[in-house]
Amino acid sequence: MSAHRLQQLKGHILPGNKITAMAAPSPLTTHVLNTAMGVPGANMGLSLYRQDPSTSAWSLITTGITNADGRCPGLITTEMFTSGVYRLHFETAQYWESMGETCFYPYVEIVFTTNDPGKKYHVPLLLSRFSYSTYRGS
Amino acid sequence: MAAAESSPLTTHVLNSGDGVPAARMALSLHRLDAQLMIWSMLSVGTTDKDGRCSGLIARGAFGPGMYKLRFETGSYWESRGQNSFYPYVEVVFSITEPEQRFHLPLLMSRFSYSTYRGS
Repeated sequence: MSAHRLQQLKGHILPGNKITAMAAPSPLTTHVLNTAMGVPGANMGLSLYRQDPSTSAWSLITTGITNADGRCPGLITTEMFTSGVYRLHFETAQYWESMGETCFYPYVEIVFTTNDPGKKYHVPLLLSRFSYSTYRGS
Repeated sequence: MAAAESSPLTTHVLNSGDGVPAARMALSLHRLDAQLMIWSMLSVGTTDKDGRCSGLIARGAFGPGMYKLRFETGSYWESRGQNSFYPYVEVVFSITEPEQRFHLPLLMSRFSYSTYRGS
């Protein structure tokens, strides 16, 4: 089975995502990695917002929870993923608290601009209790 | 004008794409009012040629709470004639022991950034 097909199937059966049973994988993906422990950041709450260009108000697109691999399939559909400013919000302190630890960052928000929605956007979060990084992948 | 005692909170912005300090980047420090749940701006500044910005907050004003450092990264890259993936970067952090020193650097390129809690 191809990795692509496996990812599609995982998106159908994993709980916690508002958008399920999609025909095609989300053009926007994330991946949370716990760099302190060397494991995927599993069971972390996150949400995706888009900013209205005229009012600057944010609207919620989806909420989800990362799976055992630290991923969250089904963030957005290709049709909804128009050019604009988006915000990914990660519940980092909640995540560390669930493991009995504190975190310097109550949450992490990554605000990014897409101007070529035909492309794939991969926005990972590499996280420890006292550091984080992100990059634009594909 | 530098404060008599240096700020317990410092930052350092590095342009990892070009391998230089990120000079003349605007940034601001905010604190969350826990009762009203709104952010208020405490200070605003611009990084110097070394990518640093002194006087962010006075020791006496630095109590426990939730703070946010906002870096105008998009404007920085625009001033260099380039676009970037992030219109700005906000780092939200929680201070429980304000007697310590907190160094929050930002290492950034057009398509990536990282930060950590230093001292």
